[in-house]
Amino acid sequence: MDNFKYFKPQNFKELLNVKYDLSSAGFPLAGGSNLLIYIKEKSIRSGTLIDITSLKELRGIKKTGDTIEIGAAETISGILESKVLENELPFFSVSMRDFANPLIRNKATIGGNMADASPVADTAPPLLVLDAKVVAASKSGIREIPANEFFSGPGKNNLSKDEIIQKINIPVPERGSGIFLKLGQRKGTSISVTSVAVWIVNDSNKITGIRISLGGVAPVPIRAVNAEKAFSGKIIDENNITALAETLKEDIKPISDLRGSAEYRTAVSINLLKRAILTCLKTEE
Amino acid sequence: MGEKEYYNIKLTVNGKVVTGSVRAEISLLDFLRDNNYIEVKKGCDKGDCGACTVLIDGKATVSCLTSALQAQGKNIYTLKSLGSWDKLHPLQKAFVKYEALQCGFCTPGMLMTAKALLDTNPHPARESIKEAISGNLCRCTGYRKIVDAIEAVGRGEL
Amino acid sequence: MTEERTYIGKRTPGLDEKDKVLGNVIYADDFTLPGMLHAKVFRATKPSAIIKKLNADRARKLPGVACVLTAGDVPNNESISNVVGQTTEVGLLEARHQVLVKNRVRYYGEAIALVAADSVAAAEEAIELIEIEYEEIPGVYNPLEAMKPESPKIHGDNNIIAQWKLRKGDVKRGFAESSVIVENTYRTPRQEHAHIEPESGVSWVDDMGVINIRIATQVIEHYRDVAAVLGIPQSMVRIKGTIIGGGFGGKEDVTAEVFLGLLTWKTRKPVKLTFSREEMGYGRQKRHPYILKYKTGASKDGKLTAMEAEIISDSGAYVYLSPWVLLYSTVHSTGPYFIPNVKVDSFSVLTNNIMTSAFRGFGGMQVAFAYEAQMDEIAKKLKMDPLELRKKNFLKKGSETANYQKITSEVLLKESVEKALSALGEKSKSTETKKTGRGFACSWQSYGRMTYLHDTSSAWVGLELDGSAVVRSGIPDLGGGQRESLRAITAEILGLNIEEVHVISTDSQVTPLAGTVTATRALFMSGNAVKLASEHVLDIITKKASEMLNTSVKELSLKNKTVYTTGGGSIPLVKVIKQCAAEGTMPQSLATYKAPFTDPVKTEVIKDPVFADFTFGAQAAEVEVDTETGIVTILKYASAQDIGRAINVNRVEGQIEGGAAQGIGFGLMEDYIEEKGIPLTLNLATYLIPTSKDIPDIQSIILESKSGKGPFGAKGIGEPAITAAAPALISAICDAIGVRIKHIPATPERVYRAVHDKN
Ligand code: FES
Ligand code: FES
Repeated sequence: MDNFKYFKPQNFKELLNVKYDLSSAGFPLAGGSNLLIYIKEKSIRSGTLIDITSLKELRGIKKTGDTIEIGAAETISGILESKVLENELPFFSVSMRDFANPLIRNKATIGGNMADASPVADTAPPLLVLDAKVVAASKSGIREIPANEFFSGPGKNNLSKDEIIQKINIPVPERGSGIFLKLGQRKGTSISVTSVAVWIVNDSNKITGIRISLGGVAPVPIRAVNAEKAFSGKIIDENNITALAETLKEDIKPISDLRGSAEYRTAVSINLLKRAILTCLKTEE
Repeated sequence: MGEKEYYNIKLTVNGKVVTGSVRAEISLLDFLRDNNYIEVKKGCDKGDCGACTVLIDGKATVSCLTSALQAQGKNIYTLKSLGSWDKLHPLQKAFVKYEALQCGFCTPGMLMTAKALLDTNPHPARESIKEAISGNLCRCTGYRKIVDAIEAVGRGEL
Repeated sequence: MTEERTYIGKRTPGLDEKDKVLGNVIYADDFTLPGMLHAKVFRATKPSAIIKKLNADRARKLPGVACVLTAGDVPNNESISNVVGQTTEVGLLEARHQVLVKNRVRYYGEAIALVAADSVAAAEEAIELIEIEYEEIPGVYNPLEAMKPESPKIHGDNNIIAQWKLRKGDVKRGFAESSVIVENTYRTPRQEHAHIEPESGVSWVDDMGVINIRIATQVIEHYRDVAAVLGIPQSMVRIKGTIIGGGFGGKEDVTAEVFLGLLTWKTRKPVKLTFSREEMGYGRQKRHPYILKYKTGASKDGKLTAMEAEIISDSGAYVYLSPWVLLYSTVHSTGPYFIPNVKVDSFSVLTNNIMTSAFRGFGGMQVAFAYEAQMDEIAKKLKMDPLELRKKNFLKKGSETANYQKITSEVLLKESVEKALSALGEKSKSTETKKTGRGFACSWQSYGRMTYLHDTSSAWVGLELDGSAVVRSGIPDLGGGQRESLRAITAEILGLNIEEVHVISTDSQVTPLAGTVTATRALFMSGNAVKLASEHVLDIITKKASEMLNTSVKELSLKNKTVYTTGGGSIPLVKVIKQCAAEGTMPQSLATYKAPFTDPVKTEVIKDPVFADFTFGAQAAEVEVDTETGIVTILKYASAQDIGRAINVNRVEGQIEGGAAQGIGFGLMEDYIEEKGIPLTLNLATYLIPTSKDIPDIQSIILESKSGKGPFGAKGIGEPAITAAAPALISAICDAIGVRIKHIPATPERVYRAVHDKN
């Protein structure tokens, strides 16, 4: 028999206390678009739903120094509507345009999408290439986990049992441009088969800095370090890009599932990477 | 295992205060339907079809993935808030005029999504309409007439 | 003479639409009764197993649980499949259906027990308390395997439960005379209806002891099935249909009726049962996946000379309508073309997969994918324009099909293709990685049931004392405007304002049985029945008026609630009605329309007419293929259908657009996947249907040959609208990338592979 409790902490401190007390039996409830599904599917049968939506410490999108801070309970729509992001880091808001659909975007939160740790979480690749930090809070304090080290397996993250995500910190890159390409099986509301984000710094046609991240090609969203190495310092043209992009094969370990075979994922990841880099270089020009 | 816990809830639906007592995991959709707001439809209960779309503080979202308790104190609008038999909302008029429905099961959600769209974007282009309703599945119409109807309201035709 | 019509051929909005946009319609699950129980079904989680132990004691003892039923509680748990017309030597009598599994589970999701409790939560909890132990037994999940003699048997001793053949001319000679021969194997997916409204109903016992079931169904005649299972007279079961939130064939077979009947019969209480979305996935039939091996030959100048085909249908674990679906496929397998030499062998094969049965298109769709692909491939080999090739071979009025049936209506295929193609306008340009392409496909699809079923539809029409009219017809309204058309017909004939005609429908207790809303027969059959009854009422009125006005009937017409003479005289309709009533000649009529009847099919070789008529049409698409990802974007789309005569233009367009959208889903993305009988696509996040961003603005083009067998020369459109979509898209993709996809849906991955396997 399912048995759930509901608790709405009145302030941040109370949230951290209750999360500490409940440990893994306390489920932060923000948008609910994942949690309610798990409850309905009965993969979670009991526990306390900790309603975190209205705590100000988990809300807001603002720029502090060189960092953009996005509260964990901010919705994807909130990100799309944020003037701060539009002005300071349009790459990130543009990346969220194909997130699920408008109904879900009004509900799903950035913290929830990250915490859920799906290999195809659509917030992950853009955050990974931005070197974003997940700010985890607990009774004993705050720590920053690099987005790239946040995931530990499909559906698993590196938060400890008493921690919650408070916010996501994104250092605003001084230079460069980025793009996020997502491949789904249909055009509206699709779960990514694979997705690629890149951030490129380009100096007189030479790539002087590059970060590449992919979703759907490994147990967790990954940074493609081999491909990054291959591309950095290179002058890219139609002739060398394919060979360089092929190095991605050393970074990815896709599986075959309902949405696509491993071979297909490999092939389209390479193609998407090429497309992403060429598009970025064009906008950089 | 113990007894299940119930929580008091109070929210405003179509301008009217509704109170009740619910379990922690109850969705807003189930709460609304249990309170006879049967115009909110359950098509999938997993956020995949949009039939259960309502406005929560002005935003269109799926009520099946909304915890009822999180709607505490909020303003919820369902299809019944749009128009009445004697005074249809322009969107409702347009849906009838353009035959933007067949079985009508997606219509309550579709209309609420359209309402939210026009509230923020009064003259949407066809592509924006298609984007806006992309979480509302319709199995009957092929969408064209739905887009036509919303576009017509945007043009001020109705 | 072009007659002026008030309602026929117009865009009249339906009355129910206003209620639908207001949220006033009480759909099946919206209905409740005091003291109502909630039901849940306990279903198998193995595709092929023997039940070793089933214990529901703990469930029964749970507070709030009213009853738990298992196979032993069902008076008549087994029934013989209803497959009229199939020959009996293929073992079908062994294929008994069971309401609840007694011993052997044959597919994942098969119902084992029913629970009714005073809340949904209690019913769900009771389901979890039912204890079961299975012994898994070997199953068979591939129809080709299932056809082998050594494969495990689902029922009886043969997994082939139906076969049909076409035999015409001599294919050997035909191929010998061919200058090109094209041979291919095609595969089509298991498609899910995915109507947005789940199956749902509420049952109760009334004060006459009748079991009432208010349910979303396309077939109110299922009251007979409920009666048979309960072992009570058919007169003691009533099915009242609701406005349906989408059907498409998914609410054609029994869904919740029998379960509801059983639970109410046991508890004597009202019971509600609504399927969950997952349950819709395994608790109801799908479209049959097909394997189609085609060999087609043509002469140098593009005349088809011979066609040979083997068609294999995965019919799931129970028979249902599979033999009929297969018969449709077989008859339609040649496409709308005249082919002198034809040999077709088709097989319905049982497997341990999910049940398959009716779905819009009913076997006509799978073969359309194959026969149109073949035409394109022949054209390519002959270096001939694909439309030119088709034009040389189209059936015409008067031609004979491969089942020796004469085409009795117009065939506007050439016009349909030309109109659809020209609607696409200028062709969009390709780029390096975005290749554009165009294609079209033709289709033919029967409307009305097989003529040997001796299909009938009854309707009652009567005038009230104030001159308004009531129509009673059993047909359910699926949202296609079925009731609306009947209103329009009566209003047209009796010269009434459409608002003055009320249609009472879909209630087995109060409406004359009209038969199912399936097989694109509603307008054809019930439209004709209502027309007959309305005309009879008109006769009664004009006869009486002629007496009252002292003139001949021929000089009278009825309009605006007045009977006019050609000479300028008139009399109010209400006066005539009052006179009729005073004399006891009520202005009312119960009429039955009979479809053309033929003798039953006696052999597996179909060599007699089996359909009343066909709808012909074409669909055309322009696509863009992203060669780096395999993603297909439909840029433009048009569908042109000769629907004989449009009764309501809005509704016809709605069918054409909606049918195309479902066909696009079938062609590009829809695939209900099972792995060894375990379904993997049980929700709408994994079973993908098109969204607003996937469907372009479909242009619907209506052609009116006025040559159909429906009222005013109408043909049917519900099913024909879906048939040519997939082959049109595949042809467009082929034009773009130069490779033909033979296994649909053409998912991005399949398209990508096609592009790259070529290189
Ligand atoms: S019922 Fe909520 S999205 Fe389908
Ligand atoms: S009208 Fe039937 S689902 Fe949209």
